[in-house]
Amino acid sequence: MQSVSSMSSMDHLWLIICCAVVAFIPRFFPLLFFTKRQIPEWFNEWMRFVPVSLFTALVVKSVFVDSKYNIMTSGNLGMIISSILVGIIAYRTRSMTLSVIIGLASVMIFVLVLHI
Amino acid sequence: MKKNEPNWLMVLRTVMPLGLSYIPIGLACGVLLHAAGFNHLMTALISVMVFSGGAQFLIASMLTINAPMTTIILMMFFLELRYALLGSSLSRYLKGQPLPFIFAFAFSMNDENYAVNYLKFATDKHWQPKQALLVEHYSLLFWTVSNIIGSLIGSALTINLSVVDFALTALFIYMAVMQTKSRLTILVCAMSAVLTLFFLVLMKSTLGLVVSTLIASLLGYFIERQLIAHKPESHLLYKIHDPTGQSAMEESDK
Repeated sequence: MQSVSSMSSMDHLWLIICCAVVAFIPRFFPLLFFTKRQIPEWFNEWMRFVPVSLFTALVVKSVFVDSKYNIMTSGNLGMIISSILVGIIAYRTRSMTLSVIIGLASVMIFVLVLHI
Repeated sequence: MKKNEPNWLMVLRTVMPLGLSYIPIGLACGVLLHAAGFNHLMTALISVMVFSGGAQFLIASMLTINAPMTTIILMMFFLELRYALLGSSLSRYLKGQPLPFIFAFAFSMNDENYAVNYLKFATDKHWQPKQALLVEHYSLLFWTVSNIIGSLIGSALTINLSVVDFALTALFIYMAVMQTKSRLTILVCAMSAVLTLFFLVLMKSTLGLVVSTLIASLLGYFIERQLIAHKPESHLLYKIHDPTGQSAMEESDK
Protein backbone atom coordinates (compact mmCIF):
# COMPACT_ATOMS: atom_id res chain seq x y z
CA MET A 1 0.00 0.00 0.00
CA GLN A 2 2.87 2.41 0.55
CA SER A 3 4.02 2.54 -3.05
CA VAL A 4 2.86 5.61 -4.94
CA SER A 5 1.50 5.19 -8.44
CA SER A 6 3.66 6.18 -11.36
CA MET A 7 0.85 8.06 -13.14
CA SER A 8 0.95 11.80 -13.69
CA SER A 9 -1.87 14.25 -13.01
CA MET A 10 -2.67 14.24 -16.71
CA ASP A 11 -3.14 10.45 -16.59
CA HIS A 12 -5.32 10.97 -13.54
CA LEU A 13 -7.46 13.46 -15.43
CA TRP A 14 -8.00 10.96 -18.24
CA LEU A 15 -8.75 8.23 -15.73
CA ILE A 16 -11.34 10.46 -14.06
CA ILE A 17 -12.96 11.32 -17.38
CA CYS A 18 -13.14 7.64 -18.45
CA CYS A 19 -14.47 6.57 -15.05
CA ALA A 20 -17.02 9.38 -15.08
CA VAL A 21 -18.27 8.24 -18.50
CA VAL A 22 -18.37 4.60 -17.39
CA ALA A 23 -20.16 5.62 -14.20
CA PHE A 24 -22.62 7.83 -16.07
CA ILE A 25 -23.77 5.29 -18.69
CA PRO A 26 -25.49 2.82 -16.33
CA ARG A 27 -26.97 5.69 -14.31
CA PHE A 28 -28.37 7.60 -17.27
CA PHE A 29 -29.61 5.27 -20.00
CA PRO A 30 -31.76 2.90 -17.94
CA LEU A 31 -33.28 5.92 -16.18
CA LEU A 32 -34.00 7.61 -19.52
CA PHE A 33 -35.22 4.43 -21.17
CA PHE A 34 -37.44 3.22 -18.36
CA THR A 35 -39.14 6.56 -17.77
CA LYS A 36 -40.72 5.72 -21.15
CA ARG A 37 -40.86 1.89 -21.22
CA GLN A 38 -41.26 -1.18 -19.01
CA ILE A 39 -38.16 -2.86 -17.54
CA PRO A 40 -37.58 -6.38 -18.95
CA GLU A 41 -38.05 -8.89 -16.14
CA TRP A 42 -34.98 -11.05 -16.88
CA PHE A 43 -32.72 -7.98 -16.77
CA ASN A 44 -34.09 -6.98 -13.38
CA GLU A 45 -33.73 -10.48 -11.99
CA TRP A 46 -30.18 -10.91 -13.21
CA MET A 47 -29.18 -7.43 -12.01
CA ARG A 48 -30.33 -8.30 -8.50
CA PHE A 49 -27.39 -10.70 -8.20
CA VAL A 50 -24.66 -8.57 -9.79
CA PRO A 51 -23.90 -6.16 -6.92
CA VAL A 52 -23.83 -8.81 -4.23
CA SER A 53 -21.51 -11.05 -6.31
CA LEU A 54 -19.16 -8.17 -7.02
CA PHE A 55 -19.07 -6.93 -3.41
CA THR A 56 -18.28 -10.43 -2.18
CA ALA A 57 -15.57 -10.79 -4.81
CA LEU A 58 -13.96 -7.51 -3.75
CA VAL A 59 -14.09 -8.39 -0.06
CA VAL A 60 -12.63 -11.86 -0.68
CA LYS A 61 -9.84 -10.32 -2.76
CA SER A 62 -8.83 -7.79 -0.15
CA VAL A 63 -9.04 -10.23 2.78
CA PHE A 64 -7.71 -13.47 1.29
CA VAL A 65 -5.59 -12.62 -1.76
CA ASP A 66 -2.26 -10.78 -1.66
CA SER A 67 -0.86 -8.35 -4.23
CA LYS A 68 0.83 -11.20 -6.17
CA TYR A 69 -2.48 -13.08 -6.49
CA ASN A 70 -1.60 -15.84 -4.08
CA ILE A 71 -4.01 -16.94 -1.38
CA MET A 72 -2.86 -15.53 1.96
CA THR A 73 -2.25 -18.19 4.56
CA SER A 74 -1.04 -15.97 7.40
CA GLY A 75 -1.18 -12.37 8.56
CA ASN A 76 -4.82 -11.82 7.72
CA LEU A 77 -6.50 -13.16 10.85
CA GLY A 78 -7.15 -9.62 12.12
CA MET A 79 -8.86 -8.73 8.86
CA ILE A 80 -10.96 -11.91 8.89
CA ILE A 81 -12.20 -11.25 12.42
CA SER A 82 -12.84 -7.58 11.61
CA SER A 83 -14.78 -8.54 8.47
CA ILE A 84 -17.06 -10.86 10.41
CA LEU A 85 -17.56 -8.11 12.99
CA VAL A 86 -18.47 -5.60 10.26
CA GLY A 87 -20.93 -8.10 8.78
CA ILE A 88 -22.68 -8.49 12.13
CA ILE A 89 -22.73 -4.70 12.74
CA ALA A 90 -24.09 -4.07 9.23
CA TYR A 91 -26.81 -6.68 9.66
CA ARG A 92 -27.92 -5.48 13.09
CA THR A 93 -27.66 -1.69 12.66
CA ARG A 94 -27.99 -1.18 8.86
CA SER A 95 -25.74 1.84 9.36
CA MET A 96 -22.98 2.47 6.84
CA THR A 97 -21.08 4.85 9.12
CA LEU A 98 -21.10 2.50 12.11
CA SER A 99 -19.99 -0.42 9.93
CA VAL A 100 -17.06 1.52 8.48
CA ILE A 101 -15.93 3.16 11.73
CA ILE A 102 -16.14 0.00 13.85
CA GLY A 103 -14.40 -1.92 11.05
CA LEU A 104 -11.55 0.60 10.97
CA ALA A 105 -11.22 0.61 14.77
CA SER A 106 -11.19 -3.18 14.85
CA VAL A 107 -8.50 -3.50 12.17
CA MET A 108 -6.46 -0.85 13.92
CA ILE A 109 -6.54 -2.84 17.16
CA PHE A 110 -5.80 -6.20 15.51
CA VAL A 111 -3.17 -5.10 13.00
CA LEU A 112 -1.40 -2.24 14.75
CA VAL A 113 -1.68 -3.30 18.39
CA LEU A 114 -1.96 -7.10 18.41
CA HIS A 115 -0.05 -7.68 15.10
CA ILE A 116 -2.19 -10.55 13.84
CA MET B 1 -43.19 18.71 10.00
CA LYS B 2 -43.49 22.51 10.17
CA LYS B 3 -45.81 23.97 7.54
CA ASN B 4 -43.99 27.10 6.35
CA GLU B 5 -40.45 25.82 6.51
CA PRO B 6 -38.56 26.86 3.34
CA ASN B 7 -37.98 24.08 0.84
CA TRP B 8 -34.17 24.13 0.94
CA LEU B 9 -34.17 23.74 4.72
CA MET B 10 -36.72 20.92 4.66
CA VAL B 11 -34.66 19.02 2.09
CA LEU B 12 -31.47 19.70 4.02
CA ARG B 13 -33.06 18.19 7.12
CA THR B 14 -33.99 15.10 5.12
CA VAL B 15 -30.45 14.69 3.83
CA MET B 16 -28.63 15.51 7.09
CA PRO B 17 -28.16 11.93 8.43
CA LEU B 18 -26.69 10.93 5.08
CA GLY B 19 -24.52 14.06 4.88
CA LEU B 20 -23.07 13.44 8.34
CA SER B 21 -22.34 9.80 7.58
CA TYR B 22 -20.43 10.89 4.48
CA ILE B 23 -17.92 12.87 6.55
CA PRO B 24 -15.82 10.00 8.02
CA ILE B 25 -16.05 7.92 4.83
CA GLY B 26 -15.22 10.91 2.64
CA LEU B 27 -12.23 11.73 4.85
CA ALA B 28 -10.89 8.16 4.57
CA CYS B 29 -11.45 8.23 0.82
CA GLY B 30 -9.61 11.55 0.47
CA VAL B 31 -6.65 10.20 2.45
CA LEU B 32 -6.43 7.14 0.19
CA LEU B 33 -6.77 9.10 -3.03
CA HIS B 34 -3.97 11.36 -1.88
CA ALA B 35 -1.82 8.32 -1.12
CA ALA B 36 -2.60 6.98 -4.60
CA GLY B 37 -1.04 10.13 -6.05
CA PHE B 38 -4.10 12.29 -6.69
CA ASN B 39 -3.62 16.00 -6.03
CA HIS B 40 -6.30 18.01 -4.21
CA LEU B 41 -7.87 19.28 -7.42
CA MET B 42 -8.15 15.78 -8.92
CA THR B 43 -9.67 14.50 -5.67
CA ALA B 44 -12.30 17.24 -5.85
CA LEU B 45 -12.93 16.50 -9.51
CA ILE B 46 -13.35 12.76 -9.06
CA SER B 47 -15.69 13.31 -6.09
CA VAL B 48 -17.96 15.44 -8.26
CA MET B 49 -17.72 13.43 -11.48
CA VAL B 50 -17.74 9.84 -10.22
CA PHE B 51 -19.41 10.46 -6.84
CA SER B 52 -19.41 6.93 -5.53
CA GLY B 53 -17.65 5.85 -2.37
CA GLY B 54 -17.00 2.31 -3.53
CA ALA B 55 -15.73 3.42 -6.93
CA GLN B 56 -13.35 6.03 -5.53
CA PHE B 57 -11.94 3.66 -2.93
CA LEU B 58 -11.44 1.06 -5.62
CA ILE B 59 -9.68 3.50 -7.95
CA ALA B 60 -7.38 4.51 -5.11
CA SER B 61 -6.49 0.97 -4.15
CA MET B 62 -6.01 -0.15 -7.76
CA LEU B 63 -3.74 2.81 -8.48
CA THR B 64 -1.53 1.90 -5.52
CA ILE B 65 -0.99 -1.61 -6.94
CA ASN B 66 -0.26 -0.01 -10.34
CA ALA B 67 -3.15 -1.74 -12.08
CA PRO B 68 -3.41 -0.80 -15.78
CA MET B 69 -5.95 1.87 -16.68
CA THR B 70 -8.06 -0.46 -18.83
CA THR B 71 -8.49 -2.88 -15.91
CA ILE B 72 -9.51 -0.03 -13.61
CA ILE B 73 -12.08 1.21 -16.10
CA LEU B 74 -13.45 -2.29 -16.73
CA MET B 75 -13.79 -2.88 -12.97
CA MET B 76 -15.47 0.50 -12.71
CA PHE B 77 -17.98 -0.53 -15.34
CA PHE B 78 -19.00 -3.65 -13.42
CA LEU B 79 -19.05 -1.80 -10.13
CA GLU B 80 -21.29 0.94 -11.53
CA LEU B 81 -23.57 -1.47 -13.38
CA ARG B 82 -25.70 -1.75 -10.27
CA TYR B 83 -26.88 1.81 -10.89
CA ALA B 84 -28.81 0.50 -13.87
CA LEU B 85 -31.02 -1.25 -11.37
CA LEU B 86 -31.30 1.73 -9.03
CA GLY B 87 -32.08 4.06 -11.92
CA SER B 88 -34.75 1.84 -13.38
CA SER B 89 -36.48 1.42 -10.02
CA LEU B 90 -36.68 5.21 -9.55
CA SER B 91 -37.76 5.84 -13.14
CA ARG B 92 -41.48 5.55 -12.50
CA TYR B 93 -41.33 8.54 -10.16
CA LEU B 94 -39.56 10.62 -12.80
CA LYS B 95 -41.92 10.06 -15.70
CA GLY B 96 -42.46 13.13 -17.86
CA GLN B 97 -39.35 14.97 -16.67
CA PRO B 98 -37.40 16.80 -19.39
CA LEU B 99 -34.14 15.34 -20.70
CA PRO B 100 -31.84 17.88 -18.98
CA PHE B 101 -33.43 16.96 -15.66
CA ILE B 102 -32.91 13.21 -16.23
CA PHE B 103 -29.33 14.00 -17.23
CA ALA B 104 -28.64 16.00 -14.08
CA PHE B 105 -30.42 13.47 -11.91
CA ALA B 106 -28.46 10.51 -13.31
CA PHE B 107 -25.18 12.40 -13.04
CA SER B 108 -25.36 12.75 -9.25
CA MET B 109 -27.25 9.62 -8.30
CA ASN B 110 -25.51 7.12 -6.02
CA ASP B 111 -26.45 4.33 -3.59
CA GLU B 112 -27.10 6.46 -0.57
CA ASN B 113 -29.04 9.38 -2.03
CA TYR B 114 -30.99 6.83 -4.06
CA ALA B 115 -32.04 5.16 -0.81
CA VAL B 116 -33.12 8.52 0.68
CA ASN B 117 -35.08 9.45 -2.43
CA TYR B 118 -36.63 6.03 -2.93
CA LEU B 119 -37.91 6.08 0.64
CA LYS B 120 -39.26 9.61 0.22
CA PHE B 121 -40.97 8.88 -3.11
CA ALA B 122 -42.50 5.70 -1.71
CA THR B 123 -43.79 7.22 1.52
CA ASP B 124 -44.42 10.92 0.82
CA LYS B 125 -46.69 11.67 -2.12
CA HIS B 126 -45.76 15.35 -2.04
CA TRP B 127 -42.09 14.54 -2.69
CA GLN B 128 -41.09 16.26 -5.94
CA PRO B 129 -38.39 15.27 -8.46
CA LYS B 130 -36.87 18.74 -7.93
CA GLN B 131 -36.48 18.03 -4.22
CA ALA B 132 -34.95 14.65 -5.04
CA LEU B 133 -32.37 16.42 -7.21
CA LEU B 134 -31.65 18.81 -4.35
CA VAL B 135 -31.03 15.80 -2.07
CA GLU B 136 -28.44 14.60 -4.57
CA HIS B 137 -26.73 17.99 -4.68
CA TYR B 138 -26.56 18.34 -0.91
CA SER B 139 -25.07 14.86 -0.57
CA LEU B 140 -22.60 15.68 -3.36
CA LEU B 141 -21.53 18.78 -1.43
CA PHE B 142 -20.95 16.84 1.81
CA TRP B 143 -19.05 14.14 -0.04
CA THR B 144 -16.80 16.44 -2.04
CA VAL B 145 -15.88 18.67 0.89
CA SER B 146 -15.06 15.62 3.06
CA ASN B 147 -12.89 14.20 0.29
CA ILE B 148 -10.96 17.46 -0.12
CA ILE B 149 -10.40 17.71 3.63
CA GLY B 150 -9.29 14.06 3.65
CA SER B 151 -6.85 14.82 0.87
CA LEU B 152 -5.45 17.75 2.85
CA ILE B 153 -5.14 15.60 5.99
CA GLY B 154 -3.42 12.90 3.95
CA SER B 155 -0.79 15.37 2.78
CA ALA B 156 -0.18 16.64 6.32
CA LEU B 157 0.03 13.37 8.25
CA THR B 158 1.44 9.92 7.66
CA ILE B 159 -1.31 7.36 8.12
CA ASN B 160 -1.10 3.58 8.06
CA LEU B 161 -2.79 2.95 4.73
CA SER B 162 -3.46 -0.75 5.09
CA VAL B 163 -5.74 0.20 7.96
CA VAL B 164 -7.54 3.01 6.08
CA ASP B 165 -7.86 0.68 3.11
CA PHE B 166 -10.04 -1.59 5.22
CA ALA B 167 -12.71 1.15 4.99
CA LEU B 168 -13.28 -0.11 1.44
CA THR B 169 -13.68 -3.70 2.60
CA ALA B 170 -16.03 -2.60 5.38
CA LEU B 171 -18.05 -0.55 2.90
CA PHE B 172 -18.43 -3.51 0.53
CA ILE B 173 -19.37 -5.87 3.37
CA TYR B 174 -22.00 -3.36 4.41
CA MET B 175 -23.36 -3.06 0.86
CA ALA B 176 -23.39 -6.85 0.42
CA VAL B 177 -25.30 -7.29 3.69
CA MET B 178 -27.81 -4.62 2.66
CA GLN B 179 -28.38 -6.45 -0.63
CA THR B 180 -28.98 -9.82 1.02
CA LYS B 181 -32.72 -10.33 0.67
CA SER B 182 -33.06 -14.14 0.54
CA ARG B 183 -31.11 -17.24 1.51
CA LEU B 184 -30.25 -17.70 -2.13
CA THR B 185 -28.25 -14.46 -1.96
CA ILE B 186 -26.05 -16.05 0.71
CA LEU B 187 -25.46 -19.02 -1.58
CA VAL B 188 -24.54 -16.61 -4.39
CA CYS B 189 -22.07 -14.89 -2.02
CA ALA B 190 -20.48 -18.24 -1.18
CA MET B 191 -20.22 -19.19 -4.86
CA SER B 192 -18.79 -15.79 -5.69
CA ALA B 193 -16.19 -16.15 -2.91
CA VAL B 194 -14.97 -19.55 -4.16
CA LEU B 195 -15.02 -18.45 -7.81
CA THR B 196 -13.11 -15.28 -6.94
CA LEU B 197 -10.31 -17.20 -5.21
CA PHE B 198 -10.16 -19.64 -8.12
CA PHE B 199 -10.09 -17.07 -10.93
CA LEU B 200 -7.80 -14.59 -9.18
CA VAL B 201 -5.16 -17.27 -8.62
CA LEU B 202 -5.72 -18.73 -12.09
CA MET B 203 -5.69 -15.47 -14.07
CA LYS B 204 -3.25 -13.54 -11.84
CA SER B 205 -5.18 -10.36 -12.61
CA THR B 206 -8.15 -8.37 -11.33
CA LEU B 207 -10.06 -9.59 -14.37
CA GLY B 208 -10.70 -12.66 -12.22
CA LEU B 209 -13.08 -10.45 -10.25
CA VAL B 210 -15.05 -9.66 -13.39
CA VAL B 211 -15.27 -13.30 -14.47
CA SER B 212 -16.37 -14.56 -11.05
CA THR B 213 -18.94 -11.77 -10.71
CA LEU B 214 -20.50 -12.65 -14.05
CA ILE B 215 -20.58 -16.40 -13.35
CA ALA B 216 -21.90 -16.04 -9.78
CA SER B 217 -24.65 -13.59 -10.76
CA LEU B 218 -25.77 -15.71 -13.72
CA LEU B 219 -25.77 -18.84 -11.53
CA GLY B 220 -27.90 -16.98 -9.00
CA TYR B 221 -30.31 -15.89 -11.72
CA PHE B 222 -30.69 -19.41 -13.17
CA ILE B 223 -30.96 -21.12 -9.78
CA GLU B 224 -33.71 -18.70 -8.81
CA ARG B 225 -35.61 -19.34 -12.05
CA GLN B 226 -35.31 -23.09 -11.62
CA LEU B 227 -36.45 -22.94 -8.01
CA ILE B 228 -39.44 -20.72 -8.75
CA ALA B 229 -40.44 -23.00 -11.61
CA HIS B 230 -39.90 -26.40 -9.96
CA LYS B 231 -39.48 -26.01 -6.20
CA PRO B 232 -41.30 -22.86 -5.07
CA GLU B 233 -41.31 -24.05 -1.44
CA SER B 234 -37.49 -24.29 -1.37
CA HIS B 235 -35.77 -23.01 1.77
CA LEU B 236 -33.36 -21.05 -0.42
CA LEU B 237 -36.10 -18.61 -1.36
CA TYR B 238 -36.81 -17.68 2.28
CA LYS B 239 -36.47 -13.99 3.01
CA ILE B 240 -33.74 -12.80 5.34
CA HIS B 241 -35.07 -11.16 8.50
CA ASP B 242 -34.24 -7.49 8.84
CA PRO B 243 -33.71 -6.71 12.54
CA THR B 244 -34.53 -3.00 12.09
CA GLY B 245 -37.55 -3.54 9.82
CA GLN B 246 -36.47 -0.67 7.54
CA SER B 247 -36.60 -2.39 4.19
CA ALA B 248 -39.94 -4.11 4.74
CA MET B 249 -41.77 -1.28 3.06
CA GLU B 250 -39.38 -1.15 0.14
CA GLU B 251 -40.16 -4.78 -0.62
CA SER B 252 -43.91 -4.56 -0.33
CA ASP B 253 -44.47 -2.02 -3.07
CA LYS B 254 -42.42 -3.75 -5.75
